[in-house]
Amino acid sequence: MRRRGGTLWNWLLSAPALLVLVLAASGPLVIVLVYSFLSPGNMGGVAWEPSTDAWFRLFFKRDIFDPEVVTWNEAHLVVFWRSVSLSLQTTAICAILGFPTAWFIATRAPHRRALWLFLITIPFWTNLLVRTFAIQELIRNTGTINSLLLRLGVIGEPIQMMYTDFAVLVGMAYVFLPLMVLPLYAAMDKLDMRLVEAGYDLYGGRLQVLRHVIFPLVKPGFVAGSILVFIPAIGAYVTPRVLGGGRTMMLGNLIELQFGQGRNWPLGSAMAMLLLIVVVAALVLYLRWANAEPEQRNG
Amino acid sequence: MKDGSDGTATDAIEIVGLDKVYGQGAGAFRALTGIDLTIRSGEFFTLLGPSGCGKTTLLRVIAGFENPTEGSVRISGEEVAHLGPNKRQVNTVFQNYALFPHMTVAQNIGFGLRMLGRSRTEVAATTAEMLRLVRMEELAQRRPAELSGGQQQRVALARALAPHPRVLLLDEPLSALDLKLRKEMQGELKRLQAETGITFVFVTHDQEEALTMSDRIAVMSAGRILQRGTPHEIYHAPTERFVADFIGDTNFLTVPVVSVEAGAAQVELPGGRTAPARLPEGARPAPGAKVTVVIRPEQARLVPPGEGEMQGEVTSSVFFGTDTHVHARLTDGQDFVLRRQNAGELADPSPGDRIGLALGDGVLRVLKD
Amino acid sequence: MARRSFEVRRIPGFGAIAILTIVLLYVPILILVTFSFNAGRSQAEWEGFSLQWYRAAFANEQVQDVSIRSLWLAIAAAGIATVLATLAALGTTRVGRFRGQTLIYALVNQPLMVPEVVTGIALLIFVASIKVATGYMGMGYLVAAHTAFCIPFAYLPIRARLETLDLNLERAAADLYASPVQAFRHITLPLLVPGIAAGFMLGFVISLDTVVITEFVKSAGQDTLPTYMLGQLRRAVTPEMNAIASLFLALSLVVVTAFFLVSRRRGA
Repeated sequence: MRRRGGTLWNWLLSAPALLVLVLAASGPLVIVLVYSFLSPGNMGGVAWEPSTDAWFRLFFKRDIFDPEVVTWNEAHLVVFWRSVSLSLQTTAICAILGFPTAWFIATRAPHRRALWLFLITIPFWTNLLVRTFAIQELIRNTGTINSLLLRLGVIGEPIQMMYTDFAVLVGMAYVFLPLMVLPLYAAMDKLDMRLVEAGYDLYGGRLQVLRHVIFPLVKPGFVAGSILVFIPAIGAYVTPRVLGGGRTMMLGNLIELQFGQGRNWPLGSAMAMLLLIVVVAALVLYLRWANAEPEQRNG
Repeated sequence: MKDGSDGTATDAIEIVGLDKVYGQGAGAFRALTGIDLTIRSGEFFTLLGPSGCGKTTLLRVIAGFENPTEGSVRISGEEVAHLGPNKRQVNTVFQNYALFPHMTVAQNIGFGLRMLGRSRTEVAATTAEMLRLVRMEELAQRRPAELSGGQQQRVALARALAPHPRVLLLDEPLSALDLKLRKEMQGELKRLQAETGITFVFVTHDQEEALTMSDRIAVMSAGRILQRGTPHEIYHAPTERFVADFIGDTNFLTVPVVSVEAGAAQVELPGGRTAPARLPEGARPAPGAKVTVVIRPEQARLVPPGEGEMQGEVTSSVFFGTDTHVHARLTDGQDFVLRRQNAGELADPSPGDRIGLALGDGVLRVLKD
Repeated sequence: MARRSFEVRRIPGFGAIAILTIVLLYVPILILVTFSFNAGRSQAEWEGFSLQWYRAAFANEQVQDVSIRSLWLAIAAAGIATVLATLAALGTTRVGRFRGQTLIYALVNQPLMVPEVVTGIALLIFVASIKVATGYMGMGYLVAAHTAFCIPFAYLPIRARLETLDLNLERAAADLYASPVQAFRHITLPLLVPGIAAGFMLGFVISLDTVVITEFVKSAGQDTLPTYMLGQLRRAVTPEMNAIASLFLALSLVVVTAFFLVSRRRGA
């Protein structure tokens, strides 16, 4: 029973939500884009003079004495590279641990799966700061691991783990792991086990069946999981701030810096746009891939 | 052919010139075309046809879930074509029952009366009466999820009957039930109709169900009504190839017309003998023209070779217990199936046997082209 | 050891990795909770059971203050978001395609896709100019920001529930003389309640979890529990933080369990 004049009705019902979203989420993004093409104000904020300087300074810098000499802005590039590298490593760790975990859950008796899945979901819904704090308490110099190793006499002085890339990596893998397991599980749950049986029946070995039957069929879940981990990882702010400190900044922290001590809002805006571009590019690539092979997505 | 009825006040439903088109332009889909239909008060009327023939759409137009593109729909003489379903005195039994899962059986049954603003006592009294009618008194406080398919079916019936509609619409209500339960519910439906006296409009794709339950049947295909009539008329006097084919097993023979008289033609059967065949209304084929005649498998008898109207050679015979289906090739190469009742312990004919086929009197019907 | 028979679903090593992974997920949390009950200050040495850190946390006025703010912010944001998401779900589900539908989907899901830090600085800029223009410094900004962020999370389960609702139920109601308003009130809304409840709980958890956006939008004196914790983590922390985190964890656990129970309830 379709209402006549349905379109207007649909828009009216959606309007209040859209209004809030435009005002408090989408709209401000446009301001960021505009700000990235303005000049910095003296006390933070912006001066209304158009400029592409912020975008230029994302990657390059001019010599203080001779503005004609342009060099790479290594301070920024180091942070960009760390962000990409740590995000990819996080995704890889999550995949290596998540794939067997999802498989394990998907092959439990049907009535037990919900319980195992619940076990994965609890940390997922536990506050990010609580989980990050838990990792901090484990790895800081007077934390659980170091204290234990000291007492056992394995080490003579605490291992410095906090404020390193390693700490950020461990923290991100820990907090984002459920994002990999859940879509992988969803794909494996749909997998027809008779296909696996057919693989063995046709003389496939364990590894061959894994590689030629299971993996191609659950690939959509794997790609979705990777996207779900990579996107929040590349935009991470809390985990690198708590576990990485000032020495191992990621892009999110560099952006914040421009609005705090750096007082360069246009540069911060340009960095935010750069981050957004990376995320949207990853999403677009994913959507294209997902739409390109629909026949595989049904497992 | 117009309906036998003349559109008096006793007609429960009167539909004239109804069209239903979905979409527009090149992508448009004609679901119903030129439907004229009169359903008499107190009738058990069946819309019969294969899936996609438009029978459910027609039912939904009567219920008010779809607006007709063209034409008029009257219920008890009142034009309702553009009234919402809540403004029509018809109720529907849905194919999947559509029982409200969050309400008890009693609440489901009382829903219509509550929406009509009837008093608490009236709702309670009618609900109790309906529970009795469908023999569900014990289960009044259950939820639909706790009922079997047959029980859900009864609740759906009671819920639709509770507001005492002028017409009850039933959309393949038995299709979700297993065979045994279906037979039982067929009897139940007939009983309910007799007890309440309400007009039933029943949609089904099951020809046997239609034949056993209906007062009258309309056979539909591709959005049109092809033929309407009593089960006997539909079975014994199909006027269209589709109707003859859809209902029961049928032999189609292509034969030349020898001569034409009032309402009947002499046709030349394979093998050269002539026999009378009834013509459909208005048809007057020229002598010498080829027409299609139909004859049901049980309307021919197996006789010794040389006897009967037609001769043939057995190609196979299939034993069904109560009867045997004998497949034969006639002298001119057309195929024919004959159904023989196994009254005694008869030997089945073997492939290659020559047989004669005797036709009953007046069993041949010529189809419209 | 008996030879294991061939089992199609088993892949050698996967079980061990899976168990290890699940253990790794829980060990840090369990240690955190364990040492919140420690009598001493150590995160490694058990010095006896004590509730002193919980007593300290409850006595800490700042903790009380930020906890109450977090809770009411989450209830307000999740509540408003749930109402708006329900309306939007009714407007966009079970209808034919219409112009602008994709735009609505994109807008509704946008907070899920944009990194929080980007939304955060966008709001920082926007809110800063409104503050200058209007002088208003209240909690309205945080409520609006959290509401926008909660909408997609509330929308998902409501829409999912709506899509599984049998349209015939509303047709049946209309057939039984219910007006559109009555059909909505007696049929659609009661059947939608599990989805709405799930949407609210998701929104509630998300609002409680939101730290980056809050950090950028808040004015002085508007700390929530997460931003308070974020500030405290820079210093050397005492097990009082373990106690606060454990309480926070317990709250999430209650809501998530409730969410699971609600979303698994079908039919009725």
